[in-house]
Amino acid sequence: MLLYILRRLVSAVSVVIVTLVASFALFFLAPTDPAGVICGPRCTPERLANIRAGLHLDDPALVQIGVYLKGLVVDREFETGGVVRECPAPCLGYSYTLGEPVTKLLAQALPVTLSLVLGAAVVYLAIGIFTGTMAAQVRGTPLDKAVVGTTLVLNSFPYFVFALLVVLYATFLPESGWTSFFENPFSWASGLVAAWVCLGIANAAAYTRYSRASMIEALGQDFVRTARSKGISKNRVVYRHGLRAALTPVATIFGIDLAGQLTGAIFTERIFDLPGLGNLVLRAFGQYDLPVLMGGVLVGSVVLVVMNLIVDIAYTFLDPRVRLG
Amino acid sequence: MEPLIEEAGLSRTGASTDAMGPAPATPQKKVSTRGKSPTAIAFARLRKDRVAVTCASVFVFFVLIAIFAPLLAKLEGQDISTLHQDLLDPYGLPTIAATGDHWFGIEPKLGRDLFARFVYGARPSLLVAGSVTILTTFVGVVIGLLAGFAGGWTDRILSWIIDFVLSLPYLLFAIAVPAVLLAIFVGNADGGADPNEVAQVRFYSLILVLSFFGWAALARLIRGEVLSLREREFVAAAKVLGVPTRKVLFKELLPNLVAPIVISVSMALPSYIVVEAGLTFLGVGLVEPTPSWGVTISAAQNYYKQDPLYLWVPVLAITMLVLSLSLLGDAVRDAFDPRTRR
Repeated sequence: MLLYILRRLVSAVSVVIVTLVASFALFFLAPTDPAGVICGPRCTPERLANIRAGLHLDDPALVQIGVYLKGLVVDREFETGGVVRECPAPCLGYSYTLGEPVTKLLAQALPVTLSLVLGAAVVYLAIGIFTGTMAAQVRGTPLDKAVVGTTLVLNSFPYFVFALLVVLYATFLPESGWTSFFENPFSWASGLVAAWVCLGIANAAAYTRYSRASMIEALGQDFVRTARSKGISKNRVVYRHGLRAALTPVATIFGIDLAGQLTGAIFTERIFDLPGLGNLVLRAFGQYDLPVLMGGVLVGSVVLVVMNLIVDIAYTFLDPRVRLG
Repeated sequence: MEPLIEEAGLSRTGASTDAMGPAPATPQKKVSTRGKSPTAIAFARLRKDRVAVTCASVFVFFVLIAIFAPLLAKLEGQDISTLHQDLLDPYGLPTIAATGDHWFGIEPKLGRDLFARFVYGARPSLLVAGSVTILTTFVGVVIGLLAGFAGGWTDRILSWIIDFVLSLPYLLFAIAVPAVLLAIFVGNADGGADPNEVAQVRFYSLILVLSFFGWAALARLIRGEVLSLREREFVAAAKVLGVPTRKVLFKELLPNLVAPIVISVSMALPSYIVVEAGLTFLGVGLVEPTPSWGVTISAAQNYYKQDPLYLWVPVLAITMLVLSLSLLGDAVRDAFDPRTRR
């Protein structure tokens, strides 16, 4: 067990390191000129040289990546045009255009994405598991077929079109926007509710299918028959005995899904105008803000790798049948 | 499975007529049984599936639109780039709705013909999705075959690469990488680069990025299948007979992988159409002057009240195309999966 966790850990760390080096090479060593972008159209050669020196752009590649890596543990200082700016410890560089440390921008964006994704998860888990369990019990009836048909259509509906139509036409939902939870919990919720409903409904279709399939399998098991023959009421069998067995695979899918959504909520963030991770990266794309792009990609990778690791390890605890090899 | 039952039924009736009939001329009446490959059985199932046939025809309809886009535009008598400024009011809103000259009306602000842009817009969608699907399927199958069959260090390295690609946040990369490619090929993003050149680089970088992230899932699937197939007797027999490895891979193993490959292709195609349109909608996929549904939807969201047709034509087109392809994909999976019972 310990060996398995250790091996997964090593593999996860190796993925993060390779991502770091590869994206650094892609963003900073590619024949592009970040200094030109910062300097803008009315640039003097003097100022350009100044910026290049401040960003260490003329140093050899290894020195550059060394400085970047060192910044992850030690404070860095940036000097542009005679102004020295502090970049405290986990330093991922300085945004070219916003004049803020990347770490700070990411720290501002992450709560937005987290609130969005977790809130939506509550919506789609509730709808999905409830509908799926119901449909499994009436398997084969017209009601079940209607549920399956609806989920099939909803599941293959292009999400961004769905979200766009919700924003444009579902005007009865409160206007979306971001307020910190600690500042005002009520406007936090009302600003996010439209996005929650949209993301929630779109994902509920998939979870209805998973829970339905999983529940049908669970209800066919011997222990369910035994429970029924002992005289336990049908509801109790379904919700106590069946659901517990049926939820394990759903939980696994949820874990993997959640990681994907943390980095994939871009459409929702853009369409509902929420200042999350995706919107930050999109803005950076528009302005060619390489440190922010790189920071976003890096944080996304780490989140994804860590979540996958947690799911894998949790799965070995949840399901005793999983053998570790 | 169905053909088997039919054949069994046929032979039984044949036997009973033999037994009851008065002295048949040929006592051993041959029942015509033709061996059907699993693929043939699957296609027979698909042809009977009404949903699948409908969806396939919708897909063919859009493919035809894409192919004959110039012809359709000529039929209407318009093209994709002429600015009909005379038909706009001072606020840039079109003064005409759908007319005989402009079947779907014209764009606000620029006044380009919407029908022409709609028919041409089918092209990049299908081109990007099609080429990404072909590329990823090819790479995925080859890498999967290699990793599964070679084993040892080849497998370990390839598996690590597969896991690595799968654990990258692919949407974030899809946004970030074209920015870099653009800077490399066109010069700095803010410079006055030629829009046509930019559009072209964006087109190829989109295909490249989507392909780079797309192959890994299929490769993992194929690797798993090969791992179990390579221990089977027919592979061992081929090896013993001295069949070269390349032939074992492509003549012995590949035909057994048709079902997972076909299923993966049929699922991949609609998903890439959505991704292409979605990224384009976000402004990180294709750009003007390429006529694309994603571009139109993105521009039209600001005019959804004044000019609903502007928004709804591409929205309906993309929804119909994706929906029909997804449902077709589902039907294909059911048809090819031997475990599905009907």
